[in-house]
Amino acid sequence: MHLHSLVLKDISRRKTKLLVAVLGVVVAFAAMVAVVTTFSAATDSLYEESNNFGANIIVRPEVKTIPLVAGSTSMGSLFTGENYIEESDIPRIHTIMDSSKLSAVAPRLYGVAELGDSSVVIMGVDPEEERKLKSWWKVQGSWISSENTGQTEVMVGSDIATPLGLTEGSLITLHNGNISMDARVTGVIESTGSNEDAYVILPLSDSQDLLNREGKVSSLEVRALCNECPVEEISMQIEDKFPGLEARSMSQIVRNELAIIEHTRSSAMAVSIITLLVSTLTVASTMLASVNEKFKEIGIMRAVGASDVQVVSMLFFEGAIIGAVGGIIGFAAGTIASTISAPLLVQVPPSPMWSILLPVTGICIFTGMLASILPAKRALGVDPAEVLRSV
Amino acid sequence: MSDDNMIRILKAGKRYRIGSGEIEVLRDVSLEVKKGEFVSVMGQSGSGKTTLMNLIGMLDSPSGGIISIDGTDITGKSQKELVALRRRTVGFVFQQFHLIPSLTAWENVALPLIFAGKEDIGYVAAALGRVGLSHRSEHKPAELSGGEQQRVAIARAIVMRPKILLADEATGALDAATGSMIISLLRSLAGEMTVIMVTHNSELAKLSDRIVNLKDGNIEEKK
Ligand SMILES: Nc1ncnc2c1ncn2[C@@H]1O[C@H](COP(=O)(O)OP(=O)(O)OP(=O)(O)O)[C@@H](O)[C@H]1O
Ligand SMILES: [Mg+2]
Repeated sequence: MHLHSLVLKDISRRKTKLLVAVLGVVVAFAAMVAVVTTFSAATDSLYEESNNFGANIIVRPEVKTIPLVAGSTSMGSLFTGENYIEESDIPRIHTIMDSSKLSAVAPRLYGVAELGDSSVVIMGVDPEEERKLKSWWKVQGSWISSENTGQTEVMVGSDIATPLGLTEGSLITLHNGNISMDARVTGVIESTGSNEDAYVILPLSDSQDLLNREGKVSSLEVRALCNECPVEEISMQIEDKFPGLEARSMSQIVRNELAIIEHTRSSAMAVSIITLLVSTLTVASTMLASVNEKFKEIGIMRAVGASDVQVVSMLFFEGAIIGAVGGIIGFAAGTIASTISAPLLVQVPPSPMWSILLPVTGICIFTGMLASILPAKRALGVDPAEVLRSV
Repeated sequence: MSDDNMIRILKAGKRYRIGSGEIEVLRDVSLEVKKGEFVSVMGQSGSGKTTLMNLIGMLDSPSGGIISIDGTDITGKSQKELVALRRRTVGFVFQQFHLIPSLTAWENVALPLIFAGKEDIGYVAAALGRVGLSHRSEHKPAELSGGEQQRVAIARAIVMRPKILLADEATGALDAATGSMIISLLRSLAGEMTVIMVTHNSELAKLSDRIVNLKDGNIEEKK
């Protein structure tokens, strides 16, 4: 038998009393683990969303408005400036300093054409690049192919497909003035709730033919790869390369959301830390009570040869055990709690954060030992001569 | 100064502070006990018997005078040195047995060895055999009679093979028959070790080699 097994025996004898202390640790650490797990899931999900978000920079021709004034009467304003980007200029974007961070550069050409009796919005895209940005689209059928198949391929939004009864394989004819173009529907995009629901999407070159805009592009949707890299910086680099174009970053949105998550996380953490302090006090007071209760036993142990170091190490070991047991149960409870709480905040289900199990247990053991300091001091004050004086 | 003295007390005193005042429990006590001797300490309640035992057992230190145990002056030794010396030199038996309730008889007896960091199963078995309780080693104190508990306590006191065994009213909580059985056990241990027992029972005290009477903080020897 060893000193530590003495402590374990003692703990098993006082199970119910120590349960309170263990529970204190469990509550505190369950809260902490739940907070960490939930918020890390929230952050992950935000990053994922921001990827789904597609582009985080939009490059467009700079739009200048010139007020039209006749005498003293305003007659509205006039848009001027270059309204298109030259397709041949696009490769130049890869010469910016941070070009390695550009994960997608998707040119788009917008216009209006007739489909049957109605006008529809035409969006010409580079299918390969576009697909990187719209990875979450659900297409019934298939994406338009990036290679020229000889036949024009289109995808249509659900707001167009449904009334016209279009499905994969339907053949349609698009008109623009005296230009007409036969095309085959390769897929219908399930409703995304945004503008695309009403778009007809076709390869860029076909759209240029249809809209009679040879070599022109309306905008560039750019995705810069990392979540934390300075998107504004990249925007500025693009603007430098393309005078007359403006590049707007959309990272602000993501950053705001991150700030909110961060803020919420800090408040939740603060609450957990208070809980932790309370739990340390619970452990301390339980152990203090147990030291008082064991006054006689401590006196006996000292009389039969326990040194100060041994008395203290027994109490610290007891504290560490309470902490470790509480910490491991707390980790489990917190992880379970986060699977309940996380879905309220985010779609991504949290997974157990095994990486924090060890540090959490470590902190718990430390907490338990911290809580043992006062009881240990008290135990050292036990004078065997006094305690054992036969009564 | 003869070398066969296990305990030499020279003009030892013990004063306790009570509030602003002091009480003098022992005054100029001098006592010599030989190796293997069996001494009884008697005296009225409050006469300082337990105090004297605590001084000899190094659980307490004198306010004045000199105490030497087995040739070593213990006055002025550090707490740490006293712990080490106490482990090797003295075993205690108390009126209330003072066993640890969660531990079996075996574990209670092993306790001093555990603290000394030299657990030896043979020592535990020998000590339990010596008090005739080998068959009870797996029992917890609550499952033992008073006499058996006191025998376990004696086994614990002798497991380290101390030079001195101190028994403070070891029979005080036991009936007469069990009490005399305990005393004869102590009697049989004397010789191997120095035994000092406190008792209120003069019949039992007669079984010892010598009776020391404490009165008004001082010693009156008889016999
Ligand atoms: N720590 C202490 N502080 C103050 N007074 C004390 C202390 N310990 C003992 N005393 C006093 O010292 C005196 C002697 O006590 P002690 O316990 O040695 O007596 P005793 O002879 O063992 O008595 P009993 O037969 O009742 O056990 C008593 O008056 C007691 O009140
Ligand atoms: Mg006494």
